[in-house]
Amino acid sequence: MLFRKKAWISTTSVAVVAALALAGCGGSKSTNDNTASTSANSQAATTSAGQASDKPKEAVTLTYTIWDQLQQPAMEAIAKEFTAQNPNIKVKVDVIPWGDYWTKMSAAAPAGTLPDVFWMHSGQFVKYASGNFLAPITDKVKAGEIDLNNYEANLGSIYTLGGQNYAIPKDFDTIGLAYNKDLFDKAGIPYPDGTWDYTKLAQAAKQLSQPDKGIYGFAAKMDTQTGYWNDMLANGGFIVSADGSKSGYDDPASIEALKARYQMILDKSSPTHQQMTDTDSTEMFKSGKVAMIFEGDWRTTDIDGSDIIKGKWNWAPLPKGKVKRGNIINGLGNVMSASGKHKAEAWQFLKFLGSKRAAEITAQMGAAIPAFKDTQAAWVKSKPQLNLQVFIDQAADAMPYPAGSKAYPVWFPKEGEIMAQAWGGKISIEEGAKQVAAMMNQAIANNK
Amino acid sequence: MNSRSRYVWAYIMIAPTLLGTVLFWTWPAIYSIYLSFLKSENFGMVNHWVGLANYERLFKDKEFWQDLRNTLYYAVLFVPLTLLFSTFFAVLLNAKIRGLSAYRVIFFLPQVTMPAAAAMVWVVLFARDYGLINHLLGTHVAWISDTRFAMFALVIVGVWGAIGFNMLLILAGLQGIPRALYEAAEIDGAVRFRKFRYITMPLLTPTLFFTTVVLMIGATQIFDSIYLLIGKTNVALPAVRSLVYAYYQNSFVYYDQNYGAAIVDILLVINLILTGLQFAFQKKWVFYD
Amino acid sequence: MTNNQRAGHRRSNLIIHTVLIAASIVMIIPFAWMILTSLKTVTEATQIPVIIFPSHPNLSSYAKAFEKSDFAHYYVNTVFTAFMKTVFPVIFSSMAAYAFARIRFPGRTILFFIIISVMMVPNPVFYTPQYLLMSKWGLVNTVTALWICSLVSPFAMFMLRQFFLGISKELEEAAILDGCNPFQTFRYIMLPLVKSALVAIVIIQLLWSWNELQWPLIINSSPDKLTLSSGLATLVSMFSTNYPVLMAGAFMAVIPMIVLFFLFQKRFIEGVAFSAHKG
Repeated sequence: MLFRKKAWISTTSVAVVAALALAGCGGSKSTNDNTASTSANSQAATTSAGQASDKPKEAVTLTYTIWDQLQQPAMEAIAKEFTAQNPNIKVKVDVIPWGDYWTKMSAAAPAGTLPDVFWMHSGQFVKYASGNFLAPITDKVKAGEIDLNNYEANLGSIYTLGGQNYAIPKDFDTIGLAYNKDLFDKAGIPYPDGTWDYTKLAQAAKQLSQPDKGIYGFAAKMDTQTGYWNDMLANGGFIVSADGSKSGYDDPASIEALKARYQMILDKSSPTHQQMTDTDSTEMFKSGKVAMIFEGDWRTTDIDGSDIIKGKWNWAPLPKGKVKRGNIINGLGNVMSASGKHKAEAWQFLKFLGSKRAAEITAQMGAAIPAFKDTQAAWVKSKPQLNLQVFIDQAADAMPYPAGSKAYPVWFPKEGEIMAQAWGGKISIEEGAKQVAAMMNQAIANNK
Repeated sequence: MNSRSRYVWAYIMIAPTLLGTVLFWTWPAIYSIYLSFLKSENFGMVNHWVGLANYERLFKDKEFWQDLRNTLYYAVLFVPLTLLFSTFFAVLLNAKIRGLSAYRVIFFLPQVTMPAAAAMVWVVLFARDYGLINHLLGTHVAWISDTRFAMFALVIVGVWGAIGFNMLLILAGLQGIPRALYEAAEIDGAVRFRKFRYITMPLLTPTLFFTTVVLMIGATQIFDSIYLLIGKTNVALPAVRSLVYAYYQNSFVYYDQNYGAAIVDILLVINLILTGLQFAFQKKWVFYD
Repeated sequence: MTNNQRAGHRRSNLIIHTVLIAASIVMIIPFAWMILTSLKTVTEATQIPVIIFPSHPNLSSYAKAFEKSDFAHYYVNTVFTAFMKTVFPVIFSSMAAYAFARIRFPGRTILFFIIISVMMVPNPVFYTPQYLLMSKWGLVNTVTALWICSLVSPFAMFMLRQFFLGISKELEEAAILDGCNPFQTFRYIMLPLVKSALVAIVIIQLLWSWNELQWPLIINSSPDKLTLSSGLATLVSMFSTNYPVLMAGAFMAVIPMIVLFFLFQKRFIEGVAFSAHKG
């Protein structure tokens, strides 16, 4: 019966479809590792790659994940050069923006899907290293494959835990004062320089501001590394105590510094927090609406890309505070996943990322200040019209980023939520600082 | 065909849905409750049983009560307003007017717009200094970053997105009401409002009931617009943060899946209560024929 | 109708039209503003006082959004996910719905209850355990993870069962006498009768899948594994307040569904109205 037969065919086709659907679970591992190599012998081939160079190598694609889209071109240039030397290893550079990066990484870590090689931040490092999600490179260091003395002072030591090395230093960054020369000229105020202190900054900001025209002297933004952390340090306060046991937010000097910054909003020398939520403060600087802003060196290319202020701006060191010149130095590292499928190739790439050549590419493209010794000059020269030297000079007495604990990833996102209340005027600055301190101390106690 | 082989066919036909539901939905729902009794370390690789500790912390957490209040407040504003506008426009469109299908299409447009994209455009519309809304109204309100207005901004976005769909549901309900009833009322000399009050409303209640349940459940799960319209560093966030937003933050940003599970399990209880209440009241005020 | 009545009728129609046109404008403004802003420069978009039309409309924001994020992958992933989340639930649910509606078998009530009880559970309750399940299967950050948990749909099953219940039994009885087994009866007799319900379910599933944000946000991280929705969230993190680029991205994300809607608007609207009828 024709009718029967057709029904039988459609029944089987449903069964086949169902079987295919279920096979999706078992067979889908292959979609996961970004490469075409799923056969059993490819495993063997990949582990021996790197050592045995005479054997024909299997093509491998590594994923290199970073958070700064501005550095993507430089990272891709490095990857390209690496592939030219190692034709069997391709590298895909993925950008996950900073705001999502650690949320995504924390989802990927326990699932075993961390990228082969990725950027590590000193604040998050302990959490990932102590969870055994990073592949240690101690053996390679001992075997002399890489020399951590090649990198600027201490940068190699940030990423060690329990006597193991986990990262190769990539770059370091410090904070500078960006200023709009045009607005200074119009107001007849000399440009900021090394002699400036916070009083001078506040004065100049006041003079430069024309709130009715939407022009402000300074962006007193609610921000940590490129914001009030520098003020707190300069004023003699601290962020976390040296032994990492206590928050410094409720220290009187810290609170004073926070209040001074907020005062600039009250004085109308700075846009309000709401305005800076509607428009990112660096965007305001780029469109010539803010005369001065604290920013990290990594934003140089971005700011200079604005047609409105190109050629009309420069960098100066941060102002001196009551106690010292505050600044935060942070060193990024390249790490590899402990559960990567192609660790031998990943190591080859990691080593290349730590090479002098990679540092030179980074410097010449103006992407970041490379960690590799004696390559910084090239970075300073990458934009000769700008005084990039201030970032190198300030590195000497800058504070390391207040990280290196399991508590940091817990308190950091909450810090911003509480401080937003203070900056938005819902609670006083003092109240906000005290709440942050209590929250941080709790996080430190819970994450010993 | 004997009944035994009919059983076999039945089991075969329900098997995919049943297995899929149990594996992907039922089991996770139960597991979520189990998770709320644990404390995990190292990204959930190590777990300890802590009993009710997460719930104790939750009930002492001022933020949680605030989030709960926000969620209910949103639902209380959003659901009636959506019903009101949807019914209003449905009644207007139920008249024989020209361009009916054009209006339907326009009102339905927000429904086919991804909420993420909609939230992004509302950010621009609501902006204080250069937002179109302040420009047109001649106001100077920080709609999304002022604690007093942020909730209304969310409700506006929510209602804008929901009117089209619910209007269509109600319109379908209206068109299901026999014309003969109205004609009979006209003979009795009933005026327009009385017709609405004594014929339309009672016969529309099943539809309104269904719509209310669906809207309520949706409203208590608000997340997308808070995530993209309000954002993390917004001073108004505490005034609008919902339970689902708190769940997301705790589970995936603060790395505390167990506390997140406790929050979302409270949401589960709320949903069960709402559904229960709805069905209890249904008997009282819904006229089924 | 007297002249007076007719005039009154015309006047009330005029009022209705005025109200509806005003409301329509409110409904459309966000779309108009999305397009206008995407054609402006950053300076124009944040200019005070507001300017409505860009002085030199340009598409550079589209280029930027396309270049800096992986829109090609977003499209492919979103379409593929929507396809999987529509086709399979419709096939599986209609089979189950028929069995529950028309075949008496031991355990029918309890099994039906097991399936529909999850409809009372809010979606976020499932996410962490589903994430852990994906993690165990090595599926975190894969396209498969976007759809695999939604291969079945208790909601679709429930709706379709309502429709099957409403169909007269006579046709079916004839088929059974003819020697058709339950699957054949379902496939050849019953399924064609609920075609419009199937279309409604397809449209609802399609919309849900297309618009979903939270699950793709949680489960996937690589740019090439995102959907349009989670890709837009990334775009916001990347471009913070560069509104022209954000609006260009938003426009690119919504346009396929809107085009689809205009092409099949009757189907969309009937589908929704139809599902309301039996809900």
